[in-house]
Amino acid sequence: MKETYGAMLPDELLDDLVGKLIVIEGTDGVGRSTQIHLLKEWLEQQGHAVLDTGLSRSGLVGKSIKRAKEGHTLGRITLSLFYTTDFADRLENEIIPALRAGFVVLTDRYIYSLIARAMVRGLDPAWVRNIHRFALKPDAIFYLRIGVDELIPRVVFTRGFDYWESGMDFYSTEDMYDSFRRYQTALLERFDQLAEEFQFQVIDARREPRVIFEQLREGILRVLTNRAGVETARAAVAAPPGTSAVHAIVPLPAPAPAGEKDEPVTVPDSEDSAEDHRKRASRTR
Amino acid sequence: MKRYGEHRIPGRLFIVEGIDGSGKSTQLMLLHQWLKAEGYGVVFSEWNSSPLVKDTTKRGKKKQLLTPATFSLIHATDFADRTERNIIPLLKAGAVVLCDRYIYTAFARDASRGMDPAWLRELYAFAVKPTIAYYFRVPLEVALKRINDGRAGFKFYEAGMDLGLSSDPDESFRLFQARILDEYEKMVPEFGMTVIDATLPIEAQQQQMRQLVVAKLTQARQLRVTP
Repeated sequence: MKETYGAMLPDELLDDLVGKLIVIEGTDGVGRSTQIHLLKEWLEQQGHAVLDTGLSRSGLVGKSIKRAKEGHTLGRITLSLFYTTDFADRLENEIIPALRAGFVVLTDRYIYSLIARAMVRGLDPAWVRNIHRFALKPDAIFYLRIGVDELIPRVVFTRGFDYWESGMDFYSTEDMYDSFRRYQTALLERFDQLAEEFQFQVIDARREPRVIFEQLREGILRVLTNRAGVETARAAVAAPPGTSAVHAIVPLPAPAPAGEKDEPVTVPDSEDSAEDHRKRASRTR
Repeated sequence: MKRYGEHRIPGRLFIVEGIDGSGKSTQLMLLHQWLKAEGYGVVFSEWNSSPLVKDTTKRGKKKQLLTPATFSLIHATDFADRTERNIIPLLKAGAVVLCDRYIYTAFARDASRGMDPAWLRELYAFAVKPTIAYYFRVPLEVALKRINDGRAGFKFYEAGMDLGLSSDPDESFRLFQARILDEYEKMVPEFGMTVIDATLPIEAQQQQMRQLVVAKLTQARQLRVTP
């Protein structure tokens, strides 16, 4: 039985949402899209129908957000609410219908990214949480965790610094590198806080994509096969954030699927450019 | 981020609320003319919201893409844009800002669509608390008669057609307005709104409005613009 974080939408029915909602969270450049791509393929091979979705992909506001960010014209409350609108649109029009139809929904980021970003930009922490209370509680939240020192080379040697992911909209006096470092450090701190609060399953994203994939696969299998297993996993992850709690409880199965061994360490993973990812990901195969 | 009631800024914010046909826009226009003539730096907030937000709202309405939740959120986004780029800077500069409709419109309308009232109040917590919020109280029948004399045809969301109250737009509008009226009445004590009897002659209503405004402006002489 699914539930929300406390606020119900009008006439919302949750008792027939039989699918599974799986969230992959993590900062920019950490490899989320690569993993979602692999997971989708694997789940479909297993016979599960999969919906993958991610921030600012809604039909209602997705394009407007992208245009807004090109022009840097929106205030921080406005931008934050624009993202929340996008999220609500996808929740009602994609995620809930898919869950009702029994899909596994893989979402590239969820409200936690919106909360973390808004907090770093100085918005009231209680307010940001409260306005997202209509969100469904996921069946599992996997957080791909990385330190800023490991993150920087990945970003530099792939696609370079992104204006927004460097927090240039509010650290405007510094250069991109300093700004990126400061912004991502602040963001990672928030994520660690949220990891505890929302019971993320923390995965060490410094490891090879193949290893991360195995861990995600294990975690998802548990969600799909055994409800009790999820509770166990959550309890185990109540360990302090950053201690790779998942490693301790997820026995790694041996072989990776053939053909994935030479997967590059990261596929560039810029915010909100899922289509680019898919293109790049398919090129690397 | 300052919350509702926490802003300490030199300007003055006067807003009008009421159902369609309550005469609030006429009253605000008269107040605007008078304040200008008196030499105050007064801005009628035209809702110069960013074209981006406006376009999205327009498109969503035209194509009927909006649910109660996204209707509510896209309007909150739009209002945030006005607040951040228009209302707050103007008030900081010491202006008298006038708004035709404010967050209470969203509370009444979105609650009528079934949104959680507590969530709505939190959503708009970033709004500046008005110096005076006027509520133009009018019986539904009086308001409907005024509207019917003046215009024809309601838009889809305006008539609350998304709620499926009635397939007839006129009837749907009437039922929707009745709900909104109930919501307004609940908000009068909650937000300490100043009630104006909107069945009184126009001049009498305006007289009341001006008296209350004067009291708030005498404490702030610096708002006067020297001619």
